Amino acid sequence: MNEFFAIVKNELIKTIRRPRSYIGFGVIAFICLMLQGAFYQDGKELLSTVTAQFDNIFNVQGNILNGNLICYIVLQTLIVQMPMLVAFVTGDQVSGETSTGSIRFLLTTPASRTNIVVAKWLSGLVYTLLLLLVLGIFALFVSRAIFGVGDLMAMNSEGLTIIRADDINWRWGYAFLIAFLSLSVVASLSTLLSCIMDNSITPIVTVMAIIIIFTIIGMFDMKSFDVIKPFLFTTHMISWRSLFEDPLPVDNIVASCAILFLHVVIFLGAAIFYFKRKDITN
Amino acid sequence: MKKIFLLMLSLFSLQAFAIDDPSALIRELNKKFSQVNDYTAHIRMTFDIPGVKMNAMNGKVFFKRPDRFRIRTKGIFFLPKQNPLQNMSAMLLDTSSYTSIISGYEVVKGKKCAIVNIIPLKNSIDLVLGKFWIDVAHPLVMKTQITTKNNGSIETENVYAANSTYTLPDQIIIKLETKKIKISKMMAADLNKKSNDTSNDNKLETGTIVLSFSDYKINTKFADSEFDKAN
Repeated sequence: MNEFFAIVKNELIKTIRRPRSYIGFGVIAFICLMLQGAFYQDGKELLSTVTAQFDNIFNVQGNILNGNLICYIVLQTLIVQMPMLVAFVTGDQVSGETSTGSIRFLLTTPASRTNIVVAKWLSGLVYTLLLLLVLGIFALFVSRAIFGVGDLMAMNSEGLTIIRADDINWRWGYAFLIAFLSLSVVASLSTLLSCIMDNSITPIVTVMAIIIIFTIIGMFDMKSFDVIKPFLFTTHMISWRSLFEDPLPVDNIVASCAILFLHVVIFLGAAIFYFKRKDITN
Repeated sequence: MKKIFLLMLSLFSLQAFAIDDPSALIRELNKKFSQVNDYTAHIRMTFDIPGVKMNAMNGKVFFKRPDRFRIRTKGIFFLPKQNPLQNMSAMLLDTSSYTSIISGYEVVKGKKCAIVNIIPLKNSIDLVLGKFWIDVAHPLVMKTQITTKNNGSIETENVYAANSTYTLPDQIIIKLETKKIKISKMMAADLNKKSNDTSNDNKLETGTIVLSFSDYKINTKFADSEFDKAN
């Protein structure tokens, strides 16, 4: 077991030492601060496009433009970007070492191939968790510091749901947990592709391509797409949004989490299966 | 005997005159309104607005004559543009700005009410027509239907209890017609949801807001700063 944790530690050190690991944190901080600045300047104007349809009937009172709404918007904006940031680091954990040949040295250690893959996958998850923590700090806490705390006016295609401020923290907690599970699917897929491919860039690009294609399929209301949508992990990756619905669709959330977890198991299992049988020819 | 008969006849005709004369009813009502210079009360608001899901919330209401009004609460809430708490007494008190007629009688919550139509005398006023169901026995506004140029029409039903002498209701049920509030799929970034059926987009649906009041404090001369205090 100590051997396993030594590999995990080693993988974490490698991740920390790679400059590309910090791009993700920079991108998240930049996007959050940019959106916060834009909303500070023009947020009320932008919100008026939403409230315009009932402006002649209702006076909406209270602070709509608050930290919770900004966090909600930031998380929605980062639906596509976050998986890419995860894939950027986790996509070449195995393939990068295969292409440089350093995987041969790693395989000479007493650690099993399974342990090596799982350790790399775990270090990817730690990186993903750190990315989410940074996102949480910037999107939620910095937004709350700038815009204050208030009720969340969650917008969805069904209309508006007002979530009271005193009922929201647990929802954010679970939303970030689901986001972590969703990004774990991406990290697992990256690990699988990284085990299959020998080039360090190809798995990253492939993961990004898969996410973009799945997201586009999810966007269109076409009968032929409706059949496959439930099987796409991207459909379930945004189930965190359901936490801001009233009543809470618990069954749908649990089902989505189960499907995401199943994806993690399948991708990781396939990665281990493939890597154990892989010929290292580089 | 003849004298008693004549006296009773005159009393009945006086009452009949009072019932048929909208000005008399409004005068009686305005007397009650005039007793209230200010009030505060606890308020509980419940909402049933098409396309908006929102839990009930509590707050405190502040009113000062003629029309200073505020609900102080933490959070987001929707109130109709034509706020009945603010507008009703102000509208009826300005007797020079409208003419009134009784268009009929109706029983509302077991009370015989005169339906008093208020028609503005000036074109510049936003009001198109105000219908007030006023209890003829104890002048109180039991129900209203206000139609304005800019904000459509809303209906209210008032429930009175301990503070009826001040015309302050314990509950106001506001009903208004509105299109269902919808956010486009792209705006909501609801990428995986199916697009809504847009065939009923222009159909009007009835929204209801219930305002329940308790713990009225009347004519306490609270400070004006209450209207400006943060939540």
